[in-house]
Amino acid sequence: MARRLLSMLVTLFGVAVIIFLVLRLLPGNAVTAQLGVSAGLLSHAQLVALNHYYGVGEPFFQQFGSWLGSMFTGNLGVSLSSRTSVASLVGAALPITLELALVSMIIGELIGVLFGVFGSLKPGRLVDSVGQGASVVGLGIPSFVIGTGLVTFLASQFHYFPSSEGFVSITRDPWLNLQQIFFPALTLGLGIGAAMMRTTRAAMLEVIGLNYARTARGKGLSKRVVTWKHLFLGALVPVTTMSGIQLGYLLGGTVVVEEIFVLPGLGRLLITSINERDFPVVQSVTLIFAAGFIIVNMLTDVLYTVIDPRTRS
Amino acid sequence: MGLNGRTVLERQSGKRVARSRVALVLSAGMLATLGGVVSGSVATAQAARVPAVSGGALVVGDTSSVQKLDPDVVTNFLDFQALALIYDQLVQYNAKLQLVPDLATKWTYSNGNKLLTFQLRQGVTFDDGTTFTSANVVASLDRALAPKTGDASASFLANVKKIVATGPYTVQFQMSTPDSSVLDGLTSVNLSMLSTKAITAGTLAKTPDGTGPFAFSSWSPDNSFVMKANPSYWGGKVSLGSVKIETIPSEQSIASAVEANTVQIGLLTEPQIATHLPSPIVGQKVLDLTYRALMLQDKTGPLANVDNRLAIACAVNRKDVLNEAVFGAGQVVGPVPLGVFASPVSAVCPTPNIAMAKSYLQKAGDPNGFSFTALTSTDLDPTSAAQATVMQSELAQAGITMHPENIAGDAYIQDWLKGKFQAAFAWNGADPDPYTMYGRYFGAGANLGVPAGYSSPVLQKLLAQGDTASSPATRKAIWTQFSNALTSNAVWIWLFTAYDYAAVTSSVHGFKLAPTNSTSLASLRSTTLS
Repeated sequence: MARRLLSMLVTLFGVAVIIFLVLRLLPGNAVTAQLGVSAGLLSHAQLVALNHYYGVGEPFFQQFGSWLGSMFTGNLGVSLSSRTSVASLVGAALPITLELALVSMIIGELIGVLFGVFGSLKPGRLVDSVGQGASVVGLGIPSFVIGTGLVTFLASQFHYFPSSEGFVSITRDPWLNLQQIFFPALTLGLGIGAAMMRTTRAAMLEVIGLNYARTARGKGLSKRVVTWKHLFLGALVPVTTMSGIQLGYLLGGTVVVEEIFVLPGLGRLLITSINERDFPVVQSVTLIFAAGFIIVNMLTDVLYTVIDPRTRS
Repeated sequence: MGLNGRTVLERQSGKRVARSRVALVLSAGMLATLGGVVSGSVATAQAARVPAVSGGALVVGDTSSVQKLDPDVVTNFLDFQALALIYDQLVQYNAKLQLVPDLATKWTYSNGNKLLTFQLRQGVTFDDGTTFTSANVVASLDRALAPKTGDASASFLANVKKIVATGPYTVQFQMSTPDSSVLDGLTSVNLSMLSTKAITAGTLAKTPDGTGPFAFSSWSPDNSFVMKANPSYWGGKVSLGSVKIETIPSEQSIASAVEANTVQIGLLTEPQIATHLPSPIVGQKVLDLTYRALMLQDKTGPLANVDNRLAIACAVNRKDVLNEAVFGAGQVVGPVPLGVFASPVSAVCPTPNIAMAKSYLQKAGDPNGFSFTALTSTDLDPTSAAQATVMQSELAQAGITMHPENIAGDAYIQDWLKGKFQAAFAWNGADPDPYTMYGRYFGAGANLGVPAGYSSPVLQKLLAQGDTASSPATRKAIWTQFSNALTSNAVWIWLFTAYDYAAVTSSVHGFKLAPTNSTSLASLRSTTLS
């Protein structure tokens, strides 16, 4: 475990260095990002003052050290654009992305596992054909098309677009919050469900003809018990792997859906900050995404040992 | 049989349990959303029956977000629009782009137009309760001029030597040279009148404090900006109780939010969305105070030859460029697109003339044409690639080869500022005053002389004359001459101005989108909501 944690810290440090360097290689800086071509209107004295204000031209090591220091103190630095602490911006956006990712995963898992399991039990029959067809649609149609279609349909037919009212947290208004999260989660969940369905179906078909499955059926166990306690458990490792991958990508992949459904999550914060060359925010948010991905992978590995005792050694 | 019977029962029961569990979860979600859908429809239907009343909370949707609160340093259009509702300036433009009083009730030039005296409005208070006087004018503009503030509009006051309060409600601008365009500069939100108390306390970046129709209420960076009606507004009672500017990153989502009536005014720029709004949503449009042009570096290569540039001007079909780039939703314009000094499209080839283009090429000694590279950046102007494609095929008819090169926004800005391009498709800010628009490019010692790519004593002289002249008729004649000098030398190729749009619900009354970008929401002070 200690070795895992150490490896995680080393990976995160590597990510931090790469993000820092890549951002500095991009043309432009916070002054030109804020002012655009109007930066040319500044007098020399104004430009010097603004460069100082935004920390443009400071030595790289000083900038990197100051950012790392702010990471350790927990405030994650100060946003160059809004002059508020990055921690407060992230603190407002992170719960929204986490909630969206969680609900999307639940929807995706429900759709994917149910269609995958029942489809594999009767390959080629109606449920399987519907699941296969839906998975092609889910994988083939990009989430922004589904999202835009949903928003347009609900707004034009029912005058209904709850997330455009401004996001409310689950503690403030659970009813409105559920309405605001459900449709973006459904949009993301359809894609996840498609991938999960294919993985679950393939994994189930692999174990369905194995000896232990035949034995379980031969013992006279009910179909439900055979399916869920024997077959599904046997197929759970690839399903868990796919779930981990989907969740990892989801943490950083909600950007487009957050834009369409007006959810002020981390993805939107990242895009805005990149456009404004707000380096402290971009660096911190990217590092959070990387940390999220690593943690999900670690948890997936831990889950393997629970699901499959052979992996414990 | 018993075993079989139990198994069948268990199986059926299991199926039921599984089905009911799945159904429970799905129905919870569906019920929640269906309930919301129904209540949304009912609420909208009810809202449509409510009569107009005073007060109410109006929501404006925009793809951008309010990024900064200090009026002296804002650069984003939406920042200008929002803060223009909180702050006042000395003078302002009306909907016809004429200068009208704001916190200055009248102004007079004297001493050979080198002394500008303002009479200030009395009985005006800031949101912090302090009274507006001449001391605020001096403190506000001194702050704007201080280099450490970084106010890009400070250049509008370049000719102002000193600002002196000569009485509690009188202030004088002492200028090094006569300067008519200083009034135009003073309309900028960057030169707003500020509370001395707030300047001293250093709170302007976090708590706006103005004299306008609305007062600051709250700000959630990247999400929303809320203002409430200013009960002591000098311009009379404000009908709306509050205005919230909600950031909705996609224009399609803005249109949907207006349909759902969660947003009452949606600010749009994409004609394909703005022109397909369903009834009873009202679409408003106004020509935007910006322009598209192909900027040319006229000092080296084939574009240094004026006849080659004129060949481009003649080969281009500006109307086609407009149609392709923004679906015809705009107007072909010359160097000064709007306002009392608006200029004709071009002194040479206002409509395409390929034969004339070829004759210019002959005259230039390039009868077989020439080639050049043109920068575009779809990051900065999504229509620039379409403009380039159309123009490329039009120039080809005359034998001119244009190589469009699309680059990232920041790279474009860097190259543009250094003049590292042969030609660049640009989306520039316009202004009713030609000196403010072009003094920065073609004036003596112009800040943007390098990207302008062209300098001429004639243009410098005309700019100086236009700036010092005070008679409107004289100024009009000078600015017409100036525009002709630009187009007859094909300094750049001016293309078009596009429309800005607003999608407005039927519950909004009295709102009219204004042509100046920074004050496009100005009519909210007299807007009512049902």
